[in-house]
Amino acid sequence: MTRVYQVPHQAFGWLVGGTLLASLPHLWSGPVWLQLSLPLLLGWRVLAHRGRLSLPGRNVRVLLLLGAVLGTFYSHGTILGPEAGTCLLVAAFGLKMLETFRFRDARVVVVLGYFVLATAFLFGQGPLLSLYVIAVMMMLTAALIGLHHPRGVGNAWRHLRLAAVMMFQALPLMVVLFVLVPRIEPLWSLQMDEPDARTGMSDSVSPGDIGRLSESDEVAFRVSFEQGVPEYRERYWRGLVLSRFDGRTWSRADNAAVDAIDYDWFPREPEPPWLHRLREARQGEEYSYQVILERTGRPWLFALSVPFTDGENRNIGMTRDMRLTHQGDVNQRLAYNVRSYPRAARAMDLDERERELNLRLPGDGNPQARERARALRAQAESDHAFAEAVLRWFNEEEFHYTLSPSRLGDEHIDEFLFSTRRGFCEHYASAYAFLMRAAGIPARLVGGYQGGEMNPLGNYMRIHQYDAHAWVEIWLEPAGWVRVDPTAAVAPERIEFGLERALDERGEGRGAAGVFSRWRENPVLRGLGDFTDYVQFAWQNWILAYDRRDQLALFEQWFGGTSPWRVAVALGIMLGIIVLPLALWILVRRPRYGPLQREYHRVVRWLARRGVRPRSGETPRALIGRAAVELPASAEPLRAWGSAFESVAYGADGGNEQAWRELRRAGRALRSPIPGRSRSRPGDGEQAHSADSER
Amino acid sequence: MQLLEQSLERVGRVVLGKEEQIRLAVACLLARGHLLIEDLPGIGKTTLAYTLARVFSLEYRRVQFTSDMLPTDILGVSVFDPEQKRFHLRKGPVFTQLLLADEINRATPKTQSALLEAMEERQVTLDGLTRDLPEPFFVVATQNPVTQTGTFALPESQLDRFLMRVSLGYPAPEVELDLLAGGGERSRTISVEPVMDAGDLLQVMARVEEVRASRELLDYVQRLLDYSRTCGRFAAGLSPRAGLGLLRAARAWALLAGRDYVIPEDVQAVAAPVCEHRLQAVSGAGARGAAEELLEAVAVVR
Amino acid sequence: MAIRERARQLYARWLNRRLPPARSQQLNQRSVFIFPSSYGFLYLLIVVSLFIGGINYENNLIMALAFLLVSLFVVAILHTFRNLSGVEIRAGGYESGFAGDRGSLEVVLTAADGHPHRALEFRWPGGQGGELSVEPGEEKSLWLTVPLSRRGRIHPGRLLVRSTWPLGWLRAWSLVDLDHRCLAWPRPLPGGDCPSGGGDETEGRRIRVQGSDDFQGLRGYVSGDSPRLVDWKAYARSGDLYTKLFADPAEGWLWLEWERMTGQDAETRLARLSWWVLEMERRRRRYGLRIPGTELAPSLGVDHRREALDSLALYGES
Repeated sequence: MTRVYQVPHQAFGWLVGGTLLASLPHLWSGPVWLQLSLPLLLGWRVLAHRGRLSLPGRNVRVLLLLGAVLGTFYSHGTILGPEAGTCLLVAAFGLKMLETFRFRDARVVVVLGYFVLATAFLFGQGPLLSLYVIAVMMMLTAALIGLHHPRGVGNAWRHLRLAAVMMFQALPLMVVLFVLVPRIEPLWSLQMDEPDARTGMSDSVSPGDIGRLSESDEVAFRVSFEQGVPEYRERYWRGLVLSRFDGRTWSRADNAAVDAIDYDWFPREPEPPWLHRLREARQGEEYSYQVILERTGRPWLFALSVPFTDGENRNIGMTRDMRLTHQGDVNQRLAYNVRSYPRAARAMDLDERERELNLRLPGDGNPQARERARALRAQAESDHAFAEAVLRWFNEEEFHYTLSPSRLGDEHIDEFLFSTRRGFCEHYASAYAFLMRAAGIPARLVGGYQGGEMNPLGNYMRIHQYDAHAWVEIWLEPAGWVRVDPTAAVAPERIEFGLERALDERGEGRGAAGVFSRWRENPVLRGLGDFTDYVQFAWQNWILAYDRRDQLALFEQWFGGTSPWRVAVALGIMLGIIVLPLALWILVRRPRYGPLQREYHRVVRWLARRGVRPRSGETPRALIGRAAVELPASAEPLRAWGSAFESVAYGADGGNEQAWRELRRAGRALRSPIPGRSRSRPGDGEQAHSADSER
Repeated sequence: MQLLEQSLERVGRVVLGKEEQIRLAVACLLARGHLLIEDLPGIGKTTLAYTLARVFSLEYRRVQFTSDMLPTDILGVSVFDPEQKRFHLRKGPVFTQLLLADEINRATPKTQSALLEAMEERQVTLDGLTRDLPEPFFVVATQNPVTQTGTFALPESQLDRFLMRVSLGYPAPEVELDLLAGGGERSRTISVEPVMDAGDLLQVMARVEEVRASRELLDYVQRLLDYSRTCGRFAAGLSPRAGLGLLRAARAWALLAGRDYVIPEDVQAVAAPVCEHRLQAVSGAGARGAAEELLEAVAVVR
Repeated sequence: MAIRERARQLYARWLNRRLPPARSQQLNQRSVFIFPSSYGFLYLLIVVSLFIGGINYENNLIMALAFLLVSLFVVAILHTFRNLSGVEIRAGGYESGFAGDRGSLEVVLTAADGHPHRALEFRWPGGQGGELSVEPGEEKSLWLTVPLSRRGRIHPGRLLVRSTWPLGWLRAWSLVDLDHRCLAWPRPLPGGDCPSGGGDETEGRRIRVQGSDDFQGLRGYVSGDSPRLVDWKAYARSGDLYTKLFADPAEGWLWLEWERMTGQDAETRLARLSWWVLEMERRRRRYGLRIPGTELAPSLGVDHRREALDSLALYGES
């Protein structure tokens, strides 16, 4: 059995603490067996350090490792990939602690700790997590310092301080590297596993779906406008278009139907005619903005109508139903630039197959609703008047906008329209679209968000999950697709001021989430909320979203080009600017002497140049006495300085300004080449010599 | 100030050729510390203690320690008084102003620690009653070289209670000649006249506390302590108590030199007697004195 | 082989130019070298893998962390360098030994630049290493062993000073020639006739093996006297302790002479003389020494013994 290496006491705390804290983010979401076993392993190590327990032998360790591999396989179904990989890494990391037999092992634990710490960023990237990572990194560094500290005395807090100082010194260099080191395209594509939980809009809307979303206070996405901010009632963030209705649920048209009409386009593909027409129609109102979308785990993107991308991100394409779409699911935060032209919609045509798709209803069911649609259409002069009439009906009759609608049976549109009459936006949108189709007007459901709250700090808008909304688009000649929001007919406040206000007026709240949002009416809390959200936003905007494109723009702006040599030279110069002062600071900086020590050492240097070196442990008085003997020419000013020094350093009038002046004067007189009292002696070679050497 | 000079000179007339040690002993007394003299018998320890007592008009007692001594022999004991039918405390020799504890290492550890505790606390607890010792209270203990048989070396923690340890050593040849020529010590001792009374002495002691120790000087003392703890040459570094003692002794030394502030020389002068008995060199360290090593290794001005 | 030898010579000459011998040296930019340690390379490997990971996952924070770690490495270079640079190393005392054994040399450290210097490792070529730290205002010393391969004045070569403080990723080192020497005494070779001629005694007579101590008398016991010298018989008789005194015989000194050892080569003569010096000391017999170029008056004791051995060690050396 190998003897346990005694990790130096001052390093042990940081080592164990750093190990535990480095693994903590993983433990949080990790499998239970990992959560249980890691503290156990660390506890084992602590007891071994105290001499209460012996460390396990090789066989036990191999068994434990095998257990970790099996556990990982059991929890993740594989031992490869980021999630399973980090799980295994953390387990192995804990096991390594049991193996710190030698100095070398302890050092390896620290380096592994850095690595484990970094993998925390695979699963979260908030500013708080980053601060946490920095703090733990400091602890690990302090452990490393403790490991290298000479045997015996060592102060753990001083080690932490040194670690902090070193990190602080490293920061400017890191910033330069981060900004300027050229970003390379991924060497091979690595995608994170499908995230477990998808949030936000799903790809179908049934009654109650959106109502559930309104419970959530999470931010869905943030938008910063470069040009023009739309009115509240115009903030319709279209996400997906639902054309298929099965009598209860609205969902997206199936692929076969969609492919036939040249549905989508991605940059670098040839432009389909509809896109060309849309582009031609860009005029009138214009909104230019950037959307920073939280992870959704779904491919659709949100934008105002009619959105155009700048084509920078090749994964973002446009669709025929005037949406943006992402190739592959959005599994990380995504930032994209959009320009929207609301008027361009009229340039879109309606393909025959599309018309057919947007008129299709189930063969039977909801007879009352169909009957009412036919009746109203017959009364109306035009499709347009009919659409208006239905809205009026919603407005005038006893329809209620509520988060707690009554349960609906099979014929749920009939039930909703003619008996319960209590519903949330999706009920109204669904019923309205049904009525339109029943009357022969192409109609489709649009899912997305309506609203958005400006943050005065940073001037950006935040859209929450509770802003989720559904509305309808109908095809009217000659205007094309027209947005109709039946909710506005029932609860205009929802559209003008948001959900909170609409529910308030109806004496409803959003449950627990609502209580929380009530607190936000307090100006202080609101300000705090704005601030934290702003930090999030800035973090996202400046750090997480910083990419190759920003970098190239920066090169262009600062160094006037992006050619490799230019970048290399710029990088070199910037590094020089950072590293040189740092090197000077660390290497050349004299230790901080007090004014008294400075005065003393100046004279000591003066004496050293004349061959009088202080002996170890010599007192100032003894040194001056000896020097006065060895340099008789300067004996007098030396003695004067000596007594002045003694009275300042030790005497009763230590802090006295007068004594200080006396000391400085004596120092100057001593070093001065100008003939002074000491110069009266003849043949004073010493003084002549000193004249040259003193500056 | 003159009184101090005068007393030094008086003592010096009796204890010949030991100016340095006398000065240290007086400094120790002024700093309210206790003195340990380590020497062979017959060197003049008793004379030194007795003369000090005379010069400062202190009440003087002498206790010869033996291995069969009990703590009560020093502290005192309650005796039953048959006439008054009650217990009555008979104070031990410790109730005096200057106690010469001769050959302290001949007593058993139990007895030793009784005395040392009294020295530290400056009071004695007997039968649950606490009695203060007189002011000033000064112990001069003597110790024979520990290699002799039948002795109990003072443990390190107890040594710490003595502010200084000095050794007198044989007299220099010319002094010895005078000594031989001048007849017995006794005659000279008896002729010593007091210079101060106890009240004067207490006043001087109070002035020791007022001697200024500048930041710069404290820094120096601190670095000395720090070095003794971190250099790895000593089994244990100097304790905070040792540090305070060093500073107090340096103050007294400065006062004896007629200064009202401490300079590094004062610290260096008392460093050896204050520190050496508290520092135990780890085996294999050089033969130089611990204090000497300390003083050489630590720069006076940072 | 020849090429390697040549390279070594060139290296030694270059070192000599760069770091000329001196009894006292303050390490500076010219004399300190620095290179990552193997642990440093492991660290860099981890950093590079983090960087690649950051690129592949397009994760800015992992990349930023990799940059921070790289920057920390750069900062560590400066700290490690400064830890060695500025320290002043002086040659201290020496302790000689017999050829084939070990001698030891003292190095003295001061933090001449006012910065602390921690966890410095010292080693003479072939000797054992030692570790030392020095704080500003302190002077510390360290005794380090050197192998003594042959008789004579030994120059131990260049002192390796090394440190990986504070993070162990980098190793800064210097090779200083402190111009430090120690003496290797001739290894004692037992036996042979005593090459001596006593003062009054007949030349070439073999010395008495026993009884060289002449009993002189008794004196009172003084503490510190060796119990072996106590006259226990007297104690039994009288109850008082007495110490026996011995004196050397008046004629009891002799000369160990080079000239008397004919037919042996120089090293053998020195080795035998060395043994006889020790033997004389063991027998507490005063002796003098005559070898070409040196004459040592008869005496006894530790100092004398060292002087005698030193002059034997220095035979034939300037």
